[in-house]
Amino acid sequence: MLDRSLVGAITLVGATTFAAALVLSSVAVRAFDDAKHIDDAKRDAEYPDIGGTWVRPGAAQWDPSKPAGLRQQAPLTPEYQAVFESNLAITASGGQEYNPQVNCLPAGMPRVMIAYDPLEFIVTPDVTYIRSDHLAQFRRIYTDGRPWPERIAPSFVGYSIGRWVDADRDGRYGALEVETRSLKGPRALDASGLPLHADNQTVVKERIYLDQANRNLLHDQITTIDHAYTRPWTVTRSYNRDPNPVWVENNCGADNHYVSIGKETYFISADGTLMPTKKNQPVPGLKNFDRLQQ
Amino acid sequence: MGRLSTALLAGVALMVTGGAVFAHHSFAMFDTDHPMELQGTVTEFKFTSPHTFILLEVKGTDGSSTTWNLEGASPSALVREGWASKTLKAGDELKMTIDPLRSGAPGGSWSEKKTNFTSGQPIVTH
Repeated sequence: MLDRSLVGAITLVGATTFAAALVLSSVAVRAFDDAKHIDDAKRDAEYPDIGGTWVRPGAAQWDPSKPAGLRQQAPLTPEYQAVFESNLAITASGGQEYNPQVNCLPAGMPRVMIAYDPLEFIVTPDVTYIRSDHLAQFRRIYTDGRPWPERIAPSFVGYSIGRWVDADRDGRYGALEVETRSLKGPRALDASGLPLHADNQTVVKERIYLDQANRNLLHDQITTIDHAYTRPWTVTRSYNRDPNPVWVENNCGADNHYVSIGKETYFISADGTLMPTKKNQPVPGLKNFDRLQQ
Repeated sequence: MGRLSTALLAGVALMVTGGAVFAHHSFAMFDTDHPMELQGTVTEFKFTSPHTFILLEVKGTDGSSTTWNLEGASPSALVREGWASKTLKAGDELKMTIDPLRSGAPGGSWSEKKTNFTSGQPIVTH
């Protein structure tokens, strides 16, 4: 049996230790909060206020300053000008086989920056993330000073390295400059079928910055360097800040009513049968069904 | 330029600028130059991604009925316009102006701005 005084001493030590632990943990929490506050304040002081949700104000053609189609005056090579005109003719007939999105493939870079659904920017010191609910696309722009890796697995959004720049040396970054490489296809620049070269050697350079007069307006100056074009093609896309975003899941595979079979795209009706999308569209080949039924 | 008609260019312009509504594909398969009026009964309202659908049973003058598959904006775009999954239900009577499939099959695209209850009552009021 323990002596009462010993029990009392043990209790006192225990209580003291517990109290000390409480004090230490509250100090630790406060230190963490202070550090986070300092980090947040430092980030707010250094980086432009581009975090949050950005909405495309209007047109979805690649160069929003010009009408869609041939009036984009895309500097295509003769070979890819012919591809583009063929895509426009397919469009006029009701088809869009050139458009990977019809089968739920992501737009990829640089088309994701059209922002069919709002874009969400998340800025951290080492990485800036750009989320698009449209076709579940997610960009990581590394700003931690890393070099280009020797091997990069190609992807639709590619691998992006960015650099914050403070051109006017006022102690606050004014723009994020980004280069994106290692893309894979199929991709197009917009829904009209502006093509990208099949070699997928596209390099995209961007300059992302807030408008000087309107801090709720974001610009992305996008230069596409691609073998389908005779020269780098620069367009500027802009986005309005949405302070009260409404997020709704957009899962393309949930109920996509289009299916591409061979070179044709068909519409799947509610009863599960195919409908033609063009006049005089050929019936899909059924020879393998015919053989089995003989 | 000469190889493609002005009509084609206009069609492409409409298709591309319509991207806010038809996000994952273009308008190409719908004939926006020849809209048509439909009046019928909702058999199902599919508030699904990537695009919503209204299945509308339309009765012909000969007494036969056809189910039209009508594709609309994405749920996210409609939510911003005040719509929800229960905004329409089976049995609702609608009067709509739709852009039909170019192929002539009973499908098309619908717009919330050109859809009303047959009674004339707007579907969503803000």
